Amino acid sequence: MWRRNQNTVAFAPSATLGPVAHTVLVALMIAVLGLIYLTQVTKTSTYGYQLDNLETQRSELLAERQDLENENARLQALERVKNSSVAASMTKPASTEYANN
Amino acid sequence: MQLPRLTSASKRTTLLLYILIGVLVLFALRLFYLQVIRHGHYTYLAQQTQVSKLTIVPERGKIYALDGNQPVPLVLNQTVFTVFADPQEVEDKNAVTRAMSEIAGGNVVDGYQERLDDEELRYVVMGRQLSREQAEKLQAKKLAGVGFQKGSRRDYPEGQLGSQMLGYVDSEGEGKYGLEGFLNSRLAGKQGLLETVTDVRQIPLTIGDSDTSRPAVNGDNLLLSIDRNIQQQTEQVLKDGLAKAKATKGSVIVMDPNTGRVMAMANYPTYDANKYAEVEDYRLFLNSVVNEPYEVGSVMKVLTMGAGLDSGAVTVNSTFNDISGCTTVDGERICNVEEDPRQAVATMADTLQYSLNTGVVHILERMGGGSVNQQARQKLYDYYAGRYRFDKLTGIEQSFEADSILVGPNSGQGRNVRYANMAFGQGMNLTMIQTAAAFSAAMNGGTYYQPTLVKGTIADDGTVQEQAPKVVATGVLSVGASNELREMTYQGRHKGFFGKLDPAGYKIGGKTGTSQIIDPKTGKYSDDNSIGSYLGFGGSDKPQYVIMVRVEDSKLTTGYAGTVAAGPIFNELSTWMLSYLEIPPKN
Repeated sequence: MWRRNQNTVAFAPSATLGPVAHTVLVALMIAVLGLIYLTQVTKTSTYGYQLDNLETQRSELLAERQDLENENARLQALERVKNSSVAASMTKPASTEYANN
Repeated sequence: MQLPRLTSASKRTTLLLYILIGVLVLFALRLFYLQVIRHGHYTYLAQQTQVSKLTIVPERGKIYALDGNQPVPLVLNQTVFTVFADPQEVEDKNAVTRAMSEIAGGNVVDGYQERLDDEELRYVVMGRQLSREQAEKLQAKKLAGVGFQKGSRRDYPEGQLGSQMLGYVDSEGEGKYGLEGFLNSRLAGKQGLLETVTDVRQIPLTIGDSDTSRPAVNGDNLLLSIDRNIQQQTEQVLKDGLAKAKATKGSVIVMDPNTGRVMAMANYPTYDANKYAEVEDYRLFLNSVVNEPYEVGSVMKVLTMGAGLDSGAVTVNSTFNDISGCTTVDGERICNVEEDPRQAVATMADTLQYSLNTGVVHILERMGGGSVNQQARQKLYDYYAGRYRFDKLTGIEQSFEADSILVGPNSGQGRNVRYANMAFGQGMNLTMIQTAAAFSAAMNGGTYYQPTLVKGTIADDGTVQEQAPKVVATGVLSVGASNELREMTYQGRHKGFFGKLDPAGYKIGGKTGTSQIIDPKTGKYSDDNSIGSYLGFGGSDKPQYVIMVRVEDSKLTTGYAGTVAAGPIFNELSTWMLSYLEIPPKN
C-alpha cells in the first residue's frame, strides 16, 4: 500500500554474497587478525631484546665500577700508603699537647 | 508429482560428502582430543622447550672496616674471567699459546697446551681468574676458537690485614673460617629466579603470560667495628714483639669495654686471604683469639679478686699471712713466684702487684668460710660460669668458636686443688675472647656486653645503619666492686715496672700471666715452654680499651713470658692507643 514519504522504487542488489564468499571473507578477516596479533607479539619480543641489551650494559657498567672500586681500595691500602714516599718523609711528633676546652 | 530419480553421479557426490563429513568429524574428534583432553600435556611439553628457569645470582655483601669514623673497604668483589678454547675451532695454536703466556701469565692452567692438541675435546680451560684488563687484551687479539666466561671472586685489597678474623671464600663461593664462614648466609644473599620464554640463546622474551620474576636479594654490606689503623698497628706491634721475644706465635685482641665492640683482632703468623689456596698449614686459618682455648694463667687473678670483692669474701683492706710464700690445699703445696716479698701482712693489692698465688687461694678459702671446700668451689664456679660466662660461647661472629674447659665444682678427683689452681688461671682453658669480654664487664661497672665485630650495615646509597651494643647481663659485679677492682688493677700495674713506662695522666691497669704448657709426652707441666699473657685496660676517667696479648713459645729465658714477651706488646700498643684515640690526660 502506498503512503506519503515512502520510496516508491525498491532497489534489489544485482549480486548477493553466497556462502563461499562469506567463508572466504571470514577466513581473510581471521588471517588479518592473526597478522595483527603476530605483529604485536613480535614487537613485544623485540622489547625483550632491548631489555636484555640494557641489562647487559648495566651489568657491564656495574662490573666496571666495581673494578674501579677495587683498584681505588688497593691504591689506598695501608701497606701501600705506609711504603709510599709521602709516608717515608713523615716524622713522629716529639710531644703532644692537649688544649683544655 | 514424481520425484526426479537420482543419477549415479549425484549418488557418488552424496557418498563423497558423507565420507568428507566423516573425515572432518574424525579430524574434529582428533583435534578435540589433542587440544582439549591432552591440553595440559602439550602445554607442559611446550613450556619445557620454550620456558627457561634462569637463576639470578646475588652479589655477595662487601665488608667495611672503620678508619676513624669513615668506612673503608676491607673485602670487595672482583669480576674475573675464565678463558677457554674449542680445539676444533682454534686456527692458530701457536698464536693462542703465545698470547696466553704473554697476557695471562700466572693465571694459566698447567698443561692446557697438550689438551689443545686433542681435537676430540670441545672445551679446554686455558686460564682462570683473569682480570678484566687481561681479558680485554686477549679479546683484542681476536683469536678464533677462544671464549671467555665471566665470574666473580672475593678481593681483599688490604692483603694480610685481619685475614684470620675475615676468613675467605672458596672457589665454590662458600665462606670459610672467620667472618666469611660464620656470616656466610647473610653475606651470600638470596638467589633470584626468572622463569620466562627464551630464545635459543637463552635471552628472555617478554611474550609469556605466566612469567615469574623474583629478583635476587644481595648480601648485606657489613660495617665492622674493626678500625683498620688499630688493626694494622696491632699486627705490626705483635709481629715486632714476637721477634723480640723470639716467639713463634701470638695473638692480640683490642676491644671497647663499654660496648663489647672489637677494635682489632690479630694473629701471627698470618696469610693473605687473596692467596688462601697457597696456604699449606691449615692452622694458619684459625683465629686463635676465638678458636684456641688455653690456660690463661695469672691474668685470672684479677677476675678472682673481682669475685672475692663482689661476694664480700674479702675487701680491699683484707690481709693474709704470706711469710712462707706458700700455702697448702689438701696436702698439695702451692707457692708464689720469685718476686714475692713474703710479708707477714700481705694485702689484696699485693696479690695483684706481686701476682701472689697464695693471695687468690686465700680469697677462695674466705669464700669457703676458712678453707677450700665445696662451698668455696661452688661460689667460685658461680662467678666463673654464672657471672663471667666462662661455660658459654660468646657468640662473636667467628667460625668454630671453641668451648672452654671449665670443670664443675663437684666433678673429678682433687677438686679442691684444682679449684685452688683455677683461682690463678690454671686447670681450666678459656679463649681470649671469653677472658677479654669478662674482664671488660669487670672493669666497666659490671655490664657484660655481647662481644661483636659487626657495628652495622651499609646500604647501597652509603647510608650506615648502626646496631646498638647488646647488653647480655648486668650486675656481673656490683658497681662498687668493679670500681675497687679497677683501681686495684691500676695500682697493681702502676706500682710495678710497667707502670713507670705509662704516660702520665692516664689510668692504665693490667696483669701478666704465664702458664706452663703440658708436655704431651709426659702429660705434665713442662718448664721448657710457656704461654705469656697480658690483660689490661687504658683510658682517662674510665677504661676506653681493653687489650689482651698472648705469646706462645717464647725463647727468652730472662723471665716469665707474661712479663718479658706479652707485657711489652701491651705497653707499646696501649701507649699508641692513647694517642690514636686522642684521649687527653687527666690534669
